[in-house]
Amino acid sequence: MQGGSTGIGYGLKYQARCISDVKADTDHTSFLTGTLSLKEENEVHLLRLSDGGTELICEGLFSHPNEIWDLASCPFDQRIFSTVFCSGETYGAAVWQIPELYGQLSSPQLENIASLDGHTSKLRCILWWPTGRHDKLVSIDEHNLFLWSLDTSKKIAQVQSQESAGMRHYLTGGAWDPHDFQTVSLTCDSSVQLWDLRTMKKTDSIDRAHVRNVDYDMKKRYMLVTAEDDSGIHIWDLRKLKSPVADLPGHSHWTWTVKCNPTYEDLILSAGTDSAVNLWLASPSIHDDPVKDSLLTSQNRTEPLLNSYNDYEDSVYGLAWSSREPWIFASLSYDGRVVVESIKHHLTR
Amino acid sequence: MEVEGALPMDDKAKRMRDLLSSFYTPDQSTPGSPPHNTVSRFATLDTINTTSFDADQYMNLLVQKSSLEGLLQKHVEMAAEIKNLDTDLQMLVYENYNKFISATDTIKKMKNNIVGMETNMEQLLEKITSVQSRSDGVNTSLFEKREHIEKLHRTRNLLRKVQFIYDLPTRLQKCIKSEAYAEAVKFYTGATPIFKAYGDSSFLDCKRASEEAVSGLVFSDSESIQARAEAVMLLKKLDFPVENLKVKLFKKLKQFLVDLDLEYKELANAPVNVDESINQNSASTTAHEASIHEFAETVRAYKVIFLHSEPQLCNLGQDLVKKHFEAIHQQIIKHVRSADLLAMLRIIWTDVLLMDEVLPEASLPDFALQHARVAIKDYTCSTFSRLLMNISDTLKKFQLTLKEEMEEEYPLRAALEASKKAVMQGSMDALMDFRLLLDENPELLLKLRDLTINWVHEGFQDFFRKLDGYFLLLSGKNNSAFQDVNLIEEMQGEKISAGLVLVLAQLTLYLEQTAIPRITEELASFSAGGGVRDLATVPAEIGRIFRSSGESFLHLYIKMRTQKISVLLKKRFAAPNWVKHKEPREVHMFVDLLRQELDEIRSEVKQILPEGLTHKHRRNNSNGSTTSSRSNPLRDDRLTRSNTQKARSQLLESHLAKLFKQKMEIFTKVEHTQESVVTTIVKLSLKSLQEFVRLQTFNRSGFQQIQLDVHFLRTTLKDITEDEAAVDFLLDEVIVSTAERCLDPNPLEPPVMDRLVQAKLAKTSEQGGDEKSK
Repeated sequence: MQGGSTGIGYGLKYQARCISDVKADTDHTSFLTGTLSLKEENEVHLLRLSDGGTELICEGLFSHPNEIWDLASCPFDQRIFSTVFCSGETYGAAVWQIPELYGQLSSPQLENIASLDGHTSKLRCILWWPTGRHDKLVSIDEHNLFLWSLDTSKKIAQVQSQESAGMRHYLTGGAWDPHDFQTVSLTCDSSVQLWDLRTMKKTDSIDRAHVRNVDYDMKKRYMLVTAEDDSGIHIWDLRKLKSPVADLPGHSHWTWTVKCNPTYEDLILSAGTDSAVNLWLASPSIHDDPVKDSLLTSQNRTEPLLNSYNDYEDSVYGLAWSSREPWIFASLSYDGRVVVESIKHHLTR
Repeated sequence: MEVEGALPMDDKAKRMRDLLSSFYTPDQSTPGSPPHNTVSRFATLDTINTTSFDADQYMNLLVQKSSLEGLLQKHVEMAAEIKNLDTDLQMLVYENYNKFISATDTIKKMKNNIVGMETNMEQLLEKITSVQSRSDGVNTSLFEKREHIEKLHRTRNLLRKVQFIYDLPTRLQKCIKSEAYAEAVKFYTGATPIFKAYGDSSFLDCKRASEEAVSGLVFSDSESIQARAEAVMLLKKLDFPVENLKVKLFKKLKQFLVDLDLEYKELANAPVNVDESINQNSASTTAHEASIHEFAETVRAYKVIFLHSEPQLCNLGQDLVKKHFEAIHQQIIKHVRSADLLAMLRIIWTDVLLMDEVLPEASLPDFALQHARVAIKDYTCSTFSRLLMNISDTLKKFQLTLKEEMEEEYPLRAALEASKKAVMQGSMDALMDFRLLLDENPELLLKLRDLTINWVHEGFQDFFRKLDGYFLLLSGKNNSAFQDVNLIEEMQGEKISAGLVLVLAQLTLYLEQTAIPRITEELASFSAGGGVRDLATVPAEIGRIFRSSGESFLHLYIKMRTQKISVLLKKRFAAPNWVKHKEPREVHMFVDLLRQELDEIRSEVKQILPEGLTHKHRRNNSNGSTTSSRSNPLRDDRLTRSNTQKARSQLLESHLAKLFKQKMEIFTKVEHTQESVVTTIVKLSLKSLQEFVRLQTFNRSGFQQIQLDVHFLRTTLKDITEDEAAVDFLLDEVIVSTAERCLDPNPLEPPVMDRLVQAKLAKTSEQGGDEKSK
């Protein structure tokens, strides 16, 4: 049970899949998480790490009309976030604003800033440009990519452009390049596609089946990390897409999500359906030397794994680094348990 | 008095001399005369003999100093002295007068003699002039004739020389015939200045003829070496262009070398079939020996003939060795057995020894040793690379057959056995080869023994590493690590089949557990003779590499298989609209597909992997775990109550249950056994099933359909898996997950479920029967 004692836990009432770091909150380390309950009233929890870092405090509890499949916090306004929700056959996405809190913990209503309507198939996720203020949003459904222009003050969201990725491709998610707000990468069942938002055209693709999740390295440009169902984690250089720069073994079952640390290079966190969160240190330089590689792979194969957090009861779907304190991450397992861990003692190495 | 009496003798003579000298040389500054002023001061009685004698002073001094008696005595003395002096003077004058008179007489006589001389002299002059005129006359009268004679004489000499030169070729030939070469050379050297002067014009033919005659000396092979050497010496004396000859001869040697090489190739090509080619082999060997002898002789001759030619010859010798080893290299590329290699090396060594006798300067043995080193290394490398190629060929062949129809009953097992054999047999053969190389031990190799042993060791290590790399490449695991371009090229575009991965997994296990220890053992005995550095740690390391590769192959196999099942499940869940699912009529088709997959896997696994010990679920080596959130009774209980109770309490209940439940390990360590692999695949597939379910939303019928399918699976999967509890648990999890994702989780009645499952079972058995009857 490595690291089990260091984690700070917080229980949601229902099952949940998504957790997001509130990047715009510069005073506190806070996370937003939303529940996934088919029949009950769903909730959005605003969690804050206490100053001592010993406790997770619920700063706000808001009811949400439907079960939340995706949640993303606005990177420039801590009170704004987006959700993708679904119930039965209906689906939708919206941008919400947390009402001013006056100390009470009762469930005030979330203010709906904009509904991102117009999707004709099942919505997957909403992307904010991760690096700073940008008035665009990207929403992804099974077949289409929408670019919205959002005015938070006027509370209007308009479709700026949309493009179909083709009926044959089932899009599953995506990530927005933090170094270039014209580029997003989308995952679909047979490849990772790179799109240019100016032309709304696919510029390139990595043919790789069963990619679950992608994330850009915030520090290193052109570095993309993908998580795949069965073949673990791959690190790509976007300038040479033929083969990955490095692979990590991933998880015993599916690797559900990967997150690159926003501050420390090559530090990657992954969560999987084997109820574990793994912390990796991927240094592509090891793999650049083929001569050494042939001798050392067997010895080094386990080396990139810095730690494995196994103290989960169910599959872990939600994962978020804190951008304020980049040695802290929050993980969310399906049973609704948020665990915040510090990796500080790994950083000294 | 007595004292002074002795003095006057000297004094007298001295005074005489002084007087005479003053007479002849009236020089004032006579030595011993003190200056005037000093006289007055230091006046003594001695000053009487000096020029500055002052009589008065002297008198005064004498009077003052002396007594009367002394004075008297002095007076007597002086009177005597004066008398003496007077007589002396008289004598001197007389003598001089005599001399003068005799001189005058002589002059008078001379005057008389000189008078007749003048006339005599004039007569003499006259006579001399007449003699001169006569001799001039003779000269002029004889001059013409003499000149003519001289001219004739010169012509005669020239003619004689010309005659000599015209005769020279024949004379030389004659000399050569009679083997009087020294004579010939003497003649030739005599003629050389002329040739040099006139060789360009009129004597050209003559010159050429003689040169030919001389150079014929050197090239006549029949001549003995000494003779030829002498001839060359002579030629050198002749300033003949020896360099040219040297080059020609050297070319000849080189040509010889080329011919020799060709012979050698024939020799090397011959022994394809040993038995047949022995005669031929030995024949060509003797031929080779003869030719190498000849070569050595020629070299010796060359060396003797041309001094200071060693560097060139050394190069030549080294060329010979190089050529030998190039040939060997060619052979090695073409795959030669160690016996043949040995034979070749032996020949080289004899050649080298032979050459060394002739040419110790070239230090050919060292040179050969260096090359032999390279060759042996080359040989070991090529042996191992060939071994690798063999194994890869075996594997590739099976990959091809696997892709085509499976004609054999157990293609995978066959592949495994064949590749096992390829590795083991190949390694053993290679080792035998090397052993032969060491046992036979020609002198050349003796020196390389330790090195060879080391190389073989390193070769094996390298081979195993490469093999591992190749396997990894084959499985598509790492593209960059493997460097052998050929293999990569061949592999591109081909996806390896899962079965082959399984073969690889078992093969690496075999390598680790059986082959490497055995080979290590053999190696140990192999290197027993020589003191070789400790290599004990290396096999362990290689073993470790293979172990980890074996594990990764097994994982890869499982991954590939589960991936396939994943796709199956994905299709299953992507296709229908689960929210509008119709009431379940029968167990869904995908179950059949799943079973089919599993059957295939089982058949593959059965061919390759050993049966495991029947142990149930080992807990201690789990590397990942999930937990059973509900025990079975609880689940059933909860499902029945799910309509009436709130889901929130269910969740609470499940959380509570978690506090007390046992950890159920799903992701246990995979072992190289049939059961372990199959169970792992089943577990992973069921976990995937659960994850797929969680992504959907179901209506009641959808839920019931899943329930039915799972129920069916429960009966069928039990037979094939080792870890029943885990499978049960996972199936339960699937149902629970479905229930959670269901809008109206109302389960099917157990009797209905049983009926449908029975119907399905009957149908499949019927189909199976049909297939069998067909």
